[in-house]
Amino acid sequence: MNKKQWNYLSVIVKLAITLLVISPFYIAMIYSVKSKQEMVTDRLAFPKTIHWDNFTRAIETSNFGLALKNSLVTTVLAVIFITLICTMASYIIARKNNRFYNLIYYLFVGAMIIPFQSIMTPLYIDMTRWKLLNTLHGFIFAKIGFQIAFTVLLVSGFVKSIPKELEEAASIDGAGMYAVFFQIVFPLMKPIVLTSIVLNALNVWNDFQMSLTLLQQKQVRNIPLTQYFFFGENSIELGLAFALFILSIIPILALYLTLQKYIIGGITQGAVKG
Amino acid sequence: MPALVMFAIFVAYPFLQGFPISFTKWDGMSPNKAYVGLKNYIRIFKDANVMNAVKNTLLFTAVTMVFSNLLGLLFALMISKKSKLNHVLRTCIFMPYCLSLVLSSYIWRYVYSDVFYDKFGIASPLGSTTWVMIGLAVISVWRDAGYCMVVYIAAIQGVSKDYYEAAELEGATSWQKFKAITFPMIAPAVTANFTLLLAWGMKVFDYPMAATAGGPGRASETVAMLIYNNLFTYFKAGYGQAIAVVFTISIFAVSTLVSKTLRAREVEI
Repeated sequence: MNKKQWNYLSVIVKLAITLLVISPFYIAMIYSVKSKQEMVTDRLAFPKTIHWDNFTRAIETSNFGLALKNSLVTTVLAVIFITLICTMASYIIARKNNRFYNLIYYLFVGAMIIPFQSIMTPLYIDMTRWKLLNTLHGFIFAKIGFQIAFTVLLVSGFVKSIPKELEEAASIDGAGMYAVFFQIVFPLMKPIVLTSIVLNALNVWNDFQMSLTLLQQKQVRNIPLTQYFFFGENSIELGLAFALFILSIIPILALYLTLQKYIIGGITQGAVKG
Repeated sequence: MPALVMFAIFVAYPFLQGFPISFTKWDGMSPNKAYVGLKNYIRIFKDANVMNAVKNTLLFTAVTMVFSNLLGLLFALMISKKSKLNHVLRTCIFMPYCLSLVLSSYIWRYVYSDVFYDKFGIASPLGSTTWVMIGLAVISVWRDAGYCMVVYIAAIQGVSKDYYEAAELEGATSWQKFKAITFPMIAPAVTANFTLLLAWGMKVFDYPMAATAGGPGRASETVAMLIYNNLFTYFKAGYGQAIAVVFTISIFAVSTLVSKTLRAREVEI
């Protein structure tokens, strides 16, 4: 076999493997536009008629608007707060090398390993006592708390690689600590900040376990909970369930496709440090 | 430092509160907790349900750890070169990682029943007590292999080309190049991925909860699920918390051990 044929073959193999990996998405997509009758006769075939009404009916019956609103509010607010407080914390931890900050750093390293189950019961009770159970802000607070360790480790690794000279020059010119941080350091941190935004957004958007524990009432259900309960109630009408699934993937996939070039760099940073 | 305050209130404080709870017999709601000393802890080691959950969790962890990494590495080797096509393929292979674990579980229920069973006559592993954990592990491998791949690609691209050129002059085969250059050079990425997958595997909750609800019977109940059920289904918060404490310590011990061992190997090769 000559080189050219070999190249063709390798491209075909690569394509085939990739198609295999994304084939479950095909199932989700065709199921979401199939009528009930067609689901019975031939499930995997390409749908003869596209039933968009699955989508409209799913939106109506699942209260999707509310779930979408809850998920958007919690994800956006949690991610903004995580990003703000963690970038500042990471900056201080990376720059001040005294005992206190080193201790905090190791506290966070250890906290990365803590499974949610070990704080689940006490957190549930505290949240009830603090009147934060079944509230979106309660969920946001808990989520922020739980993502801090990971984000600080991810970001502080990056801050250490930024040269100090610029900041020193600025402080000599009389800039205060906050000015130095927001005008000089923060812009330099852009790549890692975007990575942490994507990873945290994926985490909050897709969270199931903490949601199941802290958001137990219908009006605060987010998208994963809506998927979970809607599927339980509609396992007969699969078309509806899958239409809901497709709807819920769109926002996060859009975020991923827009910011994907930052993921590779950031995951490596975080992975090698963590 | 607001970060420290939030962390203290919502993670550290509940974490510490967990210890006293674990020494009580308590339903999770009533105001009175009966102190029972070490009883909960002794019970854990005699409880067949705990042993069952530990076995399920370990099996899941072992399979996902090995195969997510193996597939991730293969994908990475396949498409690590910079090209437009490879970039598109990478984007596609990483896509499953964007799905929630709940959604992945549902889609795969139908992959198993409609493709595996209807087309190939292979019964869905999710209905079998023997195969259910493997079936769940496959879902997780599908979702996480893309993540491992991304880490490996970044590591492979970081290896200097000079090494490969030198090896080619010596007439090394692709396998020899992989064994002597690529693999040792990406050892830190291997450590990172194994440690991460280990932690994810041990904490697995969403897949069995959504795909099988722990069934058939208790064949896919994991430790994380058992703790959840103790609080919300069986109303044994004290006992559940004791399991959680032992669980946390075990995760801590195992991850430290695995990451130490792998780090030590990095230096050797």
